[in-house]
Amino acid sequence: MILLILIYIAILLLSVPGLIKRKEWRELTFFSVLYIIAFVLGLLYVLDIPVPSPMKALQYIIADVLGIKYPQQ
Amino acid sequence: MRIEKGNICNMQLLFLITGFVQSSISLIDFTVVITEHQTWMVILAGLVIATPFILSYVALAKRFPGMNLIQINDAVYGRFLGKVISVYYIFFLMMTLSFNILDVGELYATFLMPDTPFIYLLIFFTATCAYAVTKGLEVLARVSHLFVVVGIIVPVSTFLLLIDQMDFSNFLPFFELPLIRVFHGIHIMLSIPFGETIVFLMIMGSVNKTEGMVKNTLTGLLIGTSSLLIAAVRNTAVLGNTEAIWTSPSFQSTRLIDIGTVLTRMDFLIGIAQTVLIFFKCSLFFYALAVAVSQLFGLKSYLPLVLPLAGIEVIIAATVFQSPVDHAAITQDAGIIYSVPLMFVIPPLSLLIAKICGLPKPERGKGV
Repeated sequence: MILLILIYIAILLLSVPGLIKRKEWRELTFFSVLYIIAFVLGLLYVLDIPVPSPMKALQYIIADVLGIKYPQQ
Repeated sequence: MRIEKGNICNMQLLFLITGFVQSSISLIDFTVVITEHQTWMVILAGLVIATPFILSYVALAKRFPGMNLIQINDAVYGRFLGKVISVYYIFFLMMTLSFNILDVGELYATFLMPDTPFIYLLIFFTATCAYAVTKGLEVLARVSHLFVVVGIIVPVSTFLLLIDQMDFSNFLPFFELPLIRVFHGIHIMLSIPFGETIVFLMIMGSVNKTEGMVKNTLTGLLIGTSSLLIAAVRNTAVLGNTEAIWTSPSFQSTRLIDIGTVLTRMDFLIGIAQTVLIFFKCSLFFYALAVAVSQLFGLKSYLPLVLPLAGIEVIIAATVFQSPVDHAAITQDAGIIYSVPLMFVIPPLSLLIAKICGLPKPERGKGV
């Protein structure tokens, strides 16, 4: 948990001052959105809360709903 | 607006494509379970079938000079549908990047550093890729020949060192496998080493001269495929029927190298080659992902997004599959099926639409 927070503080310190200095507000907005998503995912992982897998959902749609799959070896 | 300011030359494109195809060398181990001793045939068939599609990527890049895939989608399909298709591509880039990061994590956790916590392996590897991406495409292209050299030397040297242990009757009988398994193997080859070259539509816009792109792309594909072929032939000739039961036939076959009890335990070469080559592939995917997301949202630079994207990729890689078995099973099935439209339908369709509609339209005042 401490390592996660330290990593994300470091990312913030590395990226944000430059963006503010150059007045790149649009870049800062999208950076913030992705930063929050990344931090929340990291937090879920650290707290051992299952993160939903997009591939499991795809596997379900392709194999189970659409019935497209290769025979098991 | 173009996000990448740097340019690369045609020769660098050749090395980028060669290294990219070579970086799927670990895929040989992954396909062998399905195609056994016919893996070499499946690689060749994959190359032959994929070539026209890859040429359609080059034709698109030549038709829309200086534009990347996201811009091409907007130009061909309009702003709304173009953005929807681009989101599909971005999802593909995110997933494929996470699978490759996971490949390195599994390689180290299984063979090289089993006591190191898995998440640290992923973090350090992704951070290294992120560093490479912040240096830009030009730097990656400038060092690409070094990766290609590793991708050639390791398969060739291990092949030569194992030549006395090879039994070429291991390739017999030909055409023994059920057709569905051969088809499945070809599909894996089509999608992973060859179809994934769709990522070059994010890169080809930065090539300074479009002449010679076809020749260099094809040469890159041929050299890259040769490395895959050498590794597949080596594994089958050395291990025979047992190759399908090993977790990594490449590691197993090179472990058998024993030249006068001096040259032994050469499997470290496979570890080095796979790390270096997957790093190269991940860096290209990461670059493409960062540029694609920035282009989609109309940003001036992709650099601010690199570190947050790295954080997301680490967690996706760590959680997307429950185990290496799960990883192999889903990638061999849904993983190669969902990407079919992205690789084999949309690019040729875009090219067709562009030809019919005469895209890109010449800008007013500039003439034809």
